[in-house]
Amino acid sequence: MSANIRPAGVFDTNYKQDMALNRTRSDRLLSWGGFGLLLLIPLLTAGGPLGLNIVPAYLVTTINTIAIFVIAAQGLNILVGYTGQISLGHAAFMATGAYAGALFARGFEMQLFGSSVPIGPMPFWLALPAAALLTGLVGLIFGLPSLRVKGFYLAMATLAAQFIIPWIIENPLKPLTNAPDALPSIPAPQLGPLVFASDAAIYYIIVPLAIVLMLAARNIIRSRTGRALISIRDNDLAAELLGINVFNYKLRAFFLSALYAGIAGALLAFDRNTLSIETFRLNTSIELLAMLVIGGAGFPLAPLFGVAFVKLVTNVVIPAIGPVFNSFLPTLLPFVDAIQIGSALPSLLFGLALLLFLIFEPRGLAYRWEILKIAWKIRPYSY
Amino acid sequence: MTAILPASYRKYANWLLYGLGIVFLIAWLGPLVADKSGVQIAQRTISGLLLGGIYATIALGIVVINKASGVFNFAHGGMMMVSGFLFFSFFTEANIAPLGAFLLATATVVMVLGTASARNLLKPLYLLGGAVAVILLTIGMSIGGLELRWLHAMVGAICGTVLLGLVIERFTIRPLIGQPIFAAVMVTLALAEILVGLTNLLWGAQPRSLLIFSEPHPFLPGQLVRIQDPIRIQADFLGGSVLIDQPRLLAFVIALIAFGAFFALFRYTSIGLAMRATSENQQLAESVGLRVRVILAVTWGIAALLAGIAGVLYAGSTNSSTIDTNLHFIALRAFPAVLLGGLESITGALVGGLVLGLTEEWAKLLFTGDVAENLAPYVVLMIILVVRPQGLFGEKRIERI
Repeated sequence: MSANIRPAGVFDTNYKQDMALNRTRSDRLLSWGGFGLLLLIPLLTAGGPLGLNIVPAYLVTTINTIAIFVIAAQGLNILVGYTGQISLGHAAFMATGAYAGALFARGFEMQLFGSSVPIGPMPFWLALPAAALLTGLVGLIFGLPSLRVKGFYLAMATLAAQFIIPWIIENPLKPLTNAPDALPSIPAPQLGPLVFASDAAIYYIIVPLAIVLMLAARNIIRSRTGRALISIRDNDLAAELLGINVFNYKLRAFFLSALYAGIAGALLAFDRNTLSIETFRLNTSIELLAMLVIGGAGFPLAPLFGVAFVKLVTNVVIPAIGPVFNSFLPTLLPFVDAIQIGSALPSLLFGLALLLFLIFEPRGLAYRWEILKIAWKIRPYSY
Repeated sequence: MTAILPASYRKYANWLLYGLGIVFLIAWLGPLVADKSGVQIAQRTISGLLLGGIYATIALGIVVINKASGVFNFAHGGMMMVSGFLFFSFFTEANIAPLGAFLLATATVVMVLGTASARNLLKPLYLLGGAVAVILLTIGMSIGGLELRWLHAMVGAICGTVLLGLVIERFTIRPLIGQPIFAAVMVTLALAEILVGLTNLLWGAQPRSLLIFSEPHPFLPGQLVRIQDPIRIQADFLGGSVLIDQPRLLAFVIALIAFGAFFALFRYTSIGLAMRATSENQQLAESVGLRVRVILAVTWGIAALLAGIAGVLYAGSTNSSTIDTNLHFIALRAFPAVLLGGLESITGALVGGLVLGLTEEWAKLLFTGDVAENLAPYVVLMIILVVRPQGLFGEKRIERI
């Protein structure tokens, strides 16, 4: 939408200019400057090499988490926002990627026809793509029902994935994964002499990767594949009449989506150093969908807004207003316990935010952001 | 989809595949079944049917909403949980605060009377009737002590549950009419989240004991305990005796009565006819003079009642007879029942529920671990979706561009 609107006096004269993401000098300045600032953040914490204490350390951890979930939500965005297939099993794909990445990096022995084949330990740079590919293949398997069903029925199939995959991790694969207990001591990524062990160090893997994957998703959507996906979302029968192989493209969407989820899961494993299956239950899937709704499904920047909003509410707003509720709610409603408020607030506020967004702003924050951008570009005229 | 084979051959190829699947299933499960004794199988079959009755009631609630408003209700488990806890509160509390009862009754009556239009509330006839209803409900909820607790619990839980259904319909479903299916799914997911939060806030997460099927404690006077002695049926031809747990049997019977009552409501009354008409085509129903908004609200109220009945029965008949926030996962397990029977079919809900209960209990018999509870329903779900997505009794959708 905003791609067509240029500031006054800027005209496209060739195809390359028309397709450029950064069209003007200020665009370029802002994007590279913003990237540089992002890379500066860990250097300014107390533990950084400069010894400055400008940025609190938890900010780095928070940005890591946000970046990981942005990758996962972008994968979901390709599937839900652009292809229009609802998935309630995205957290299970994340779990696949996380356990695959962790196990490849730790190394394990696989029983194959009676003989045990040692696999790994692989370096991080091999384990991550391997985990992503494996997750993509799992995504293909659970995308197969999309041959026959769609819409709500497909949501049910992915719901089945959400229960089947963690069960497989917990039961047949228990000797490897140690689930439902935590899988400890996942080796940190290494590059020559560099070890990315601390939060501030792995930041330099996660954040650039997240940006690259966001740009990749944006470019996939502008390609032939992306246009096919969007046409399937808008009307699958019409898309089929246009000669698009609907099933093929739906499977591609599932593969891409699971690939992103696998990368996000593996990064989560390397970021936390331990893994617990409880991270990847149904409520994580719902949370990812909610992030997408709040961000605005079908916009390239939706995951960023959605994840930032949800993580802001859960990590900042709830700790801030919890004590306030604790002080007056028990006196107002005598049967409410102070302990119960702490456990109830997250799901209550989260559900309420999702509901309000669905009713009053169904197109999400990214839509507001696009309107804001256009208003800024065409100022001082209002249209 | 590319056609690998001509259409006529594809049909036979499908049958061949299904046949191979069935042969494989028999070859896999046959030896497992043959291992077990006849008594074990009969025992599991009976407990599976008893559990299936409750699943059928849950499935009916979901089917009713889906038929009328085209929304698949992921919040059904949340509704089960909240109404179950409401029942628990009125059931165990010796002294109900009259003010609380009054507020609940007023809210319910206002929502019921204001369903069609808020202006109705100002009409003198409605005002009078509403006032009488509020007084009766308040008295029903709060007079007497523990002797009248069944009355308290029934009136209070029905009031609260209907209120819940109407509020959900009025403030979340109605604003989203005409939105894509994604929005409808997300709204009910958000509602489920809110209901879980609400339950945590009001009742806490720890299990509470809900002894609806109880007898006096054998040793402690004045205490109640879950009915313990099972009914023993001697079955010599199977080589042993089959036990039937009394609370589960009672729950099954009540669930079937509720199922039958609501089935009769849909089948034989004029409001049921109106509901069926609405589910066929909302615009046509509106144009022949049916008040679609009222009908949708009534549907949500009925579905909430069904959810409440199922929640109370399930929580009361489990081995521990406790109710806690895990109750809302039970509805997730009933989703395969809905899909198996077909999203639009009431008979399908009954069949699907019973089959699912049987599947769960048989899986418990054949496999070790938590396969039965956590995996079997979803494997069934995947098989249904691949083999027959519309379910056994559902309608096949015909699409037009």
